[in-house]
Amino acid sequence: MAIESINGCIGCEECIKSCPTDVLRLNPDSKKAEILYPEDCQICHLCRMYCPVDAITISPEKTIPVIVSWG
Amino acid sequence: MKKQDKKENISRRKFMALAGGAASFAAISALGMPIEWASNELEVDIDTLGVDKLSTDVLVIGSGMAGLFAAVKAHDAGAKVLMVSKGRLGASGQTPFAKGIFAYDPENEIVGIDEFVEKVSFSAIGTNNKAYTRQLAEHSLARVNELREWGFFNSSLYNKSFSKPIEERNIPVHERVTITHLIKEDESVVGAAGFSIDEQKVLFYEAKSVILCTGAGGVKPNGFPICDLTHDGTIMAYNIGAKVTGKEWNDGHPGKSENPAACYDGWGDMFEQKPSTTRIEIRHDLGVEANYMAYANGNPLKMGPPGASKNSAGNNGKNDGPQRPEGLVLSDDGPPGGGEKDGNRPPKGEGRRPPKGGDGAPPGMGGGIVGGSSAGMAIHKSEGLVPINDKCESNIPGLYAAGDALGSYMSGAIYTQIGSSLAGSAVQGGVAGEAAAAYCKNIKSISISKSKMKELKAEILAPMKREAGYSPAWVTQTLQGIMIPNFVLYIKKKSMLKGALAYIEELRDHHMPMLKAANFHELRLAHETANMIISAEMKLKASLMRTESRCSHYRLDYPDMDNENWQAWINIQKGEDGSMQFEKQPFGQWPNEAV
Amino acid sequence: MGLIMKNEIYIKNLVPLMIAFIGVPVLLYTLGDFPRRNYLMETLSLTTILGFTILMSQFFLSRINKKLVKDIRMVNVLKIHKFIGYLFISILLFHPFFIIVPKFFDNGVTPSDAFLKLITTFSGLGVILGLIAYSCVLILMISAFFRFKLHLKYSTWRSLHGVLTLLFVITATWHVIDIGRHSNTSFSVYYVLIVATGVYALLRTYLFKTTKSSKEHRNTLKIIK
Repeated sequence: MAIESINGCIGCEECIKSCPTDVLRLNPDSKKAEILYPEDCQICHLCRMYCPVDAITISPEKTIPVIVSWG
Repeated sequence: MKKQDKKENISRRKFMALAGGAASFAAISALGMPIEWASNELEVDIDTLGVDKLSTDVLVIGSGMAGLFAAVKAHDAGAKVLMVSKGRLGASGQTPFAKGIFAYDPENEIVGIDEFVEKVSFSAIGTNNKAYTRQLAEHSLARVNELREWGFFNSSLYNKSFSKPIEERNIPVHERVTITHLIKEDESVVGAAGFSIDEQKVLFYEAKSVILCTGAGGVKPNGFPICDLTHDGTIMAYNIGAKVTGKEWNDGHPGKSENPAACYDGWGDMFEQKPSTTRIEIRHDLGVEANYMAYANGNPLKMGPPGASKNSAGNNGKNDGPQRPEGLVLSDDGPPGGGEKDGNRPPKGEGRRPPKGGDGAPPGMGGGIVGGSSAGMAIHKSEGLVPINDKCESNIPGLYAAGDALGSYMSGAIYTQIGSSLAGSAVQGGVAGEAAAAYCKNIKSISISKSKMKELKAEILAPMKREAGYSPAWVTQTLQGIMIPNFVLYIKKKSMLKGALAYIEELRDHHMPMLKAANFHELRLAHETANMIISAEMKLKASLMRTESRCSHYRLDYPDMDNENWQAWINIQKGEDGSMQFEKQPFGQWPNEAV
Repeated sequence: MGLIMKNEIYIKNLVPLMIAFIGVPVLLYTLGDFPRRNYLMETLSLTTILGFTILMSQFFLSRINKKLVKDIRMVNVLKIHKFIGYLFISILLFHPFFIIVPKFFDNGVTPSDAFLKLITTFSGLGVILGLIAYSCVLILMISAFFRFKLHLKYSTWRSLHGVLTLLFVITATWHVIDIGRHSNTSFSVYYVLIVATGVYALLRTYLFKTTKSSKEHRNTLKIIK
């Protein structure tokens, strides 16, 4: 779904800054970007395009959550 | 939503607190059901959160094309400028995805500016504001030349070229800061407030003038890169008394039926392309004609010839469907030069303009098209703050808006000039920047009172302080379920608009005050969700009020144009009692101008 | 020694090394759940992985590997050692550039900007370790190339070569495990195992079995010359 994985992250934070919907954050321990809120990914690929080391994999599928009666 | 499945032992005290607050919770937990769907497990310590206050002359909110020029031109006009953005310079809002920019070059165009303005007015059926249409043509080439100098046309990504003029001028840019409130003291704007996601701080910006470059908005629809745009500027301004307009118009971008949420894939490789300029080419695009076809004939949408909805949608030759100007001729034979790069053109396969070879299926895509990919957004520059003059000034002294945050009606209530959305943002940003800088020169000093700061800090952090409530994600989904259906937002009629309004009012009255957030990400979502709810209310009420069909507004129960009553824009303002007030502003006039 | 028999000895000695340092990483690469890119990038990735693992095999293509020295003679071990050293160090020296190859094929970040960002990101240890490892292996290669121009005593040379190797291996392995695109658990375990084995063998030779006669060294040197 949406943004899938980050392989070979160097921790430059380009993707974190470029994400319009705040999906990514820097993991304070590993100092690498991690996908924290994938449900908010709008599949625009800005993170991937800004990544200097081509580390981000994105798929076109998005599981649109079903609407429930409370949440 | 994330923690829905997580079972957790709650302490007895906590349980008592919850049960005391709502007896039903106790009943549910007695049945052994997990109850943390409602309990807010706070991930930050809000009692120790820092608060910063910064001062500047001109505060530019937003860092897209309008924000860039607003900051640069205000600085060059002698003001101290600070830019604040929910995202990143050149990488938030719709700017990063727009690839065509209109440049009116008198040397290379046969059509003069007067004729250009008339042609736009004709296609827009009078809905455009000629002052802004003219301004676009007059300033576009100069802005494009500046962009070229900064290297804008050398890369598909705009952060580097946008950073050049900003860094050269040492303009501070605060990124990933969500502005939630505009601040007004003594009838004038004095700043804004919000929070920084990275610094985990509440921020106050004291400013003599504020320029909203906050873009448009939608209901976080799937298939269009506008999930960071939730009409923030419009609603913040409305809340301090600004007039807003254009809420009845619709942008009718469709999406692919296969993976409709994948906006990158929906646009082919367009997001990867370098930008380029466009020339005069006036169209009548992005309305709701495909929506009407889908409504009339059902899915899958059959591709007809251009304008098919007017005569071949199986309506026995009846001339119905969305209104177009009488006698409009468009070169619909194929994608016009550069048009596909526009960033405002629908993906190939859009209803009204089938691709060559035309089975309606864009390359590499077997399925058809679906509507609502940009749901909740109006035609570029038709929706936003009402300008009181051609200087992008609002009715609140010191408050300016530019680009899609300004209801300038530069293109009218239908998309007319290819590439004008990006160019218009650049032009208006520059105009607003200079106007705001000039305004600042007459303002001696401003200050935000301590009591106001205390009050706003509480409002900003309120979703984090709620022990129970509704998750912004769920409220957003519910809102989408109410608004996105074709028969609500696009093909309108009184009964449905009223029905949807009842739901939206419920969200506004009962759910908006109970939005909760456990961290700064959710805090942003909570404020965005509230803005979307108010915008949805505006959209439904304005749509109810406009009892005619014109351009991108279509009423099934009022399918005709009503020139007698509706040569007017609808302005919305918050009344003294907090209620939503509506007024008409005749086409071609400024607000409060004598008729 | 007949030709066939000679080949057999080579095969007998080198096949296990090839399995351990080529076969295993290729297998781990194939089995791993990594996102696949285009053929060019996958080839460059695999080349880099093998560049590193084959370079690790150098521990066992040296004097440390007594059995190999005995079977195929030191002169041949050295030939292989030098060939692998120069070739695969070169590959590793190029691998930062492999990473930015996709930037030549799109309109976004320029290759030079991407490279600059890559080598100036010091938020985590990964790039810093990589830069240290890069410098070590570069010095390692240059010092090996100019070994006889340096006029070092054999024991000094051996220490220099060994210390640089240790420094390189430790920083490089840490770097690979930390920010390698293909560093999953299996790869990490594998790297740690081979490095631990190699370092153990190296230290054992250096620290505990330093009683080789200087005559033997001189003989070897003559052969090399």
